[in-house]
Amino acid sequence: MDPRTAPVLPQEKVRRMIDVRDLTKVYPGVLAVDRISFRVEKGEVIGFLGPNGAGKSTTMRILTCLFPPTTGTVSVGGFDVLRDSMKVRRMIGYLPENNPLYTEMRVEEYLLFRAQIKQAPRADRTRIVGSAMEKCGLAERRTTIIDQLSKGFRQRVGMADAILNEPEIIILDEPTIGLDPNQVRTVRELIRELGQRRTVILSTHILSEVERTCGRVLIINRGRLVADGTPSQIINKFTLTGRVRLELRGTGEGVKEIIERLPNVKRVAWMNKGELQDYLVEPANAADLRSELFKCAAQHSWDLVELGHERVSLEDAFVEVTAGPGSSSGVRRDTPRVEHPEPVKVPETGGKG
Amino acid sequence: MRNIIALIRRELGAYFISPMAYIILTALLAVSGFLFYFSMLRYSQQRLPASMTEVQQYLVFLMTLISPLITMRLIAEEKNRGTIETMMTAPVSEWQFVFAKFAASMLFVCYLLLPTVFYAAFVAAYGTLDVKGMLTGYLGVFLTLGAVISIGLLISSMASNQITAGVVTLIVACTLMMISAFSPILRPGASQFLGMVKDVMNYVGILNHVEEFSKGVIDTRPLVYLLSVMFGGLFLTVRVVESRRWR
Repeated sequence: MDPRTAPVLPQEKVRRMIDVRDLTKVYPGVLAVDRISFRVEKGEVIGFLGPNGAGKSTTMRILTCLFPPTTGTVSVGGFDVLRDSMKVRRMIGYLPENNPLYTEMRVEEYLLFRAQIKQAPRADRTRIVGSAMEKCGLAERRTTIIDQLSKGFRQRVGMADAILNEPEIIILDEPTIGLDPNQVRTVRELIRELGQRRTVILSTHILSEVERTCGRVLIINRGRLVADGTPSQIINKFTLTGRVRLELRGTGEGVKEIIERLPNVKRVAWMNKGELQDYLVEPANAADLRSELFKCAAQHSWDLVELGHERVSLEDAFVEVTAGPGSSSGVRRDTPRVEHPEPVKVPETGGKG
Repeated sequence: MRNIIALIRRELGAYFISPMAYIILTALLAVSGFLFYFSMLRYSQQRLPASMTEVQQYLVFLMTLISPLITMRLIAEEKNRGTIETMMTAPVSEWQFVFAKFAASMLFVCYLLLPTVFYAAFVAAYGTLDVKGMLTGYLGVFLTLGAVISIGLLISSMASNQITAGVVTLIVACTLMMISAFSPILRPGASQFLGMVKDVMNYVGILNHVEEFSKGVIDTRPLVYLLSVMFGGLFLTVRVVESRRWR
């Protein structure tokens, strides 16, 4: 990743913003996080995925110095979360999972308080708060009591707090939970904008969101890191079955049999869509069947409409990596499995991709 | 330091945003006003010199009864709402967090006590006021409440919701008040052990000490007791807030 044109900071030399090594967190009787290691470079936007109770929030809470790891080392911006906790906290803007706020305060009053707590210079405080409110679309609600705000606006207040004082690292735990599609889009825009200059880590259940906003994805399941890479890398790694989709015009008599007779073809699924015929061809030993199928189509002068690899989404990959041994791969589970329930309150959510 | 001031201001603001502060103040002034009136009436009927001693004892009694209302929400509410997470991930240390809460509630106590200075003015206007006794008496009231507030803060940090915190604090506060009131049951001289128990009860009870103070005597014994309860409570509260780190 290229060096960003961010304002020069003392930590400018540190390109590696987050360095997690063998992080383990044990709650009484529960292994919440199990020897996770990953690194985050400056300017990356990381999507943190996993079923409920997988250890996402725990990891984020350790990064934000809420509590220390049981074993392992975590350093943020070159500072250890245990030894230099205060320095780490100054670098991080954090939006916790259920967006806790002092609801009796007014929006601007709350943000000014937070700016003060975060030791923003007195002279800049109003400007900092003003720009955070501007970015989060709160300018018109500055004097509203937070209690009277809608959920979407409250979420914006939490976001504004997280970006106050321009922290180097922004950690957002399910920032779009409970928001309507328009609000989700606004938040996504904001994250993308933040990601141009800052390091952002966000956790979410909405996979399409990750595909659109995150340059890199970490999937964590039952406390273990099971995937780390760009969305497309992960999709390829975990779902590359090499299945080819072939679409032909016509009645499709006998086509299935001809394809089945081709070398390296394991299975063919035929879907009759009336005028168009869809074939899903599964290769044996991971062979690339595309050119073979094209030649075959030309040879039999089939009316070829479309030919290509089956398109898979991050959701398929997610299900693939996080599905337990009992569930068959590729089958979408509607209820996330909770093997290691977190001892902290996790609100029930309907947010799935 | 700037942190602490911001925290104290927010905390004080939280008191005055709800009608609670005004209700407490009104009730306190109404009741203590009556008690002041009767106290003065008795002094004049018995031709005794007027003093603030009795009034200050009443104040300790009333304020201790009110104290759960002041302390119950302090930390329990933060835990309940989850705001403790945003606080403890901001550059705020546990002791700053706890001290700010304590300082804010003590300032609130001062605010509640301030109007009672008028009583002293009345005494001064119609009789002779022992200014030194009045001042040391207020010091006694303040120290006693410091101890009570500190205990309330500790209970609030351990409770998961403010109602529990309030009820438990009320029970503890009442026990601390009554313990010395029950000590006369034990007749002195019955046995040496009972005499000792009686002494301990009188020492631990929080109602007696202010009387000493309001006579203009700053005795180190109650001073040590009240200060150690106060600092002990604060210390333990910081530990409880920190305990999330090793759980």
